[in-house]
Amino acid sequence: MAVNGGSSADGPDDSVPRLGCGRDAALAWDRAAAGTAPDEHERDCPHCGAAFADARGLDAVVHRMASEELEPPSSTMDRVMAAVLTELRPHDLLTLPSPHGPVRLSRPAAAAVLRHVVDRMDGLRARSCRIEQLGEAGAQAHAADVTISVTARFGIDLMSVTARVRQMVIAAGEQALGVPVRRVDIDVVDLFGADLPGAGLFGEERP
Amino acid sequence: MTEQDPPVHLHVGDAVVARVAAHRARLVPGVVALRPDLPQALLGIAGTVFGHDRSRLPVDGVSVTVDGPSVEVAVSVVTRLGHNCRDLAVAVQRDVAAEVRAYTGLDVTVRVTVADVLLD
Repeated sequence: MAVNGGSSADGPDDSVPRLGCGRDAALAWDRAAAGTAPDEHERDCPHCGAAFADARGLDAVVHRMASEELEPPSSTMDRVMAAVLTELRPHDLLTLPSPHGPVRLSRPAAAAVLRHVVDRMDGLRARSCRIEQLGEAGAQAHAADVTISVTARFGIDLMSVTARVRQMVIAAGEQALGVPVRRVDIDVVDLFGADLPGAGLFGEERP
Repeated sequence: MTEQDPPVHLHVGDAVVARVAAHRARLVPGVVALRPDLPQALLGIAGTVFGHDRSRLPVDGVSVTVDGPSVEVAVSVVTRLGHNCRDLAVAVQRDVAAEVRAYTGLDVTVRVTVADVLLD
């Protein structure tokens, strides 16, 4: 759309943007937006015709977008909540050794891995897992203490379970996470029935 | 360049480095995805609803600060159980730093956060 500040038949006014034909661009735009039929000049003038086309084009786009019903994908809420929860826990991180600079690992993700490997052991189910790094200097700088609570199948040898869980957590810490495990505390908090996998001895449901 | 040619000063923007870093990080074996931060996630969701320019290389999960001749790149990755998180993070640091250094000439520091480990 050509716009200049030249004079017009109605008298020059340098403060008003004018089309190449001298007409006030805003007035032409308003007439088009209001749906007014073009007058004799506007029908033949390319400048006014362009202004009318611009106004009608914008009007069509705005009304089309306004009339569209937005249907966000069904996963939108999950994605928003995942992003919000991630943002709320920015400092819940473990540090990992690296020669190239800072490396961190989500503490909840690391705990989930350790719970998962214990969950896959026969006769055991993980309840909770806490990982603490002491931040000591030297070779133990990234070492972690792990406290894990489990439920065990009724009748299982608890001393044997303790040894197996300890070994599994140490191995998973090094092989899956890259975190050397210095100490493992195991808390057997409940028993579940041998014939009812997933159910507690007294009707307990898994968290 | 002859002696009469004027000197050329090249400035590389944050977005350039971010796109190179994100592209390279995704190629590291064991990287399932890059984890966007909250603003990036919300913009991404808005993009899926309102439509977005698919020609742009995504930078979700990468933030960059260029400071003169050096740049700090932060990459947040998601991996899968079976890949050692420490080794994966070191590989991302090494590969992203090499790619950004080769492409831009900047001195690079890469910070890596393993944001999640998929268990399935």
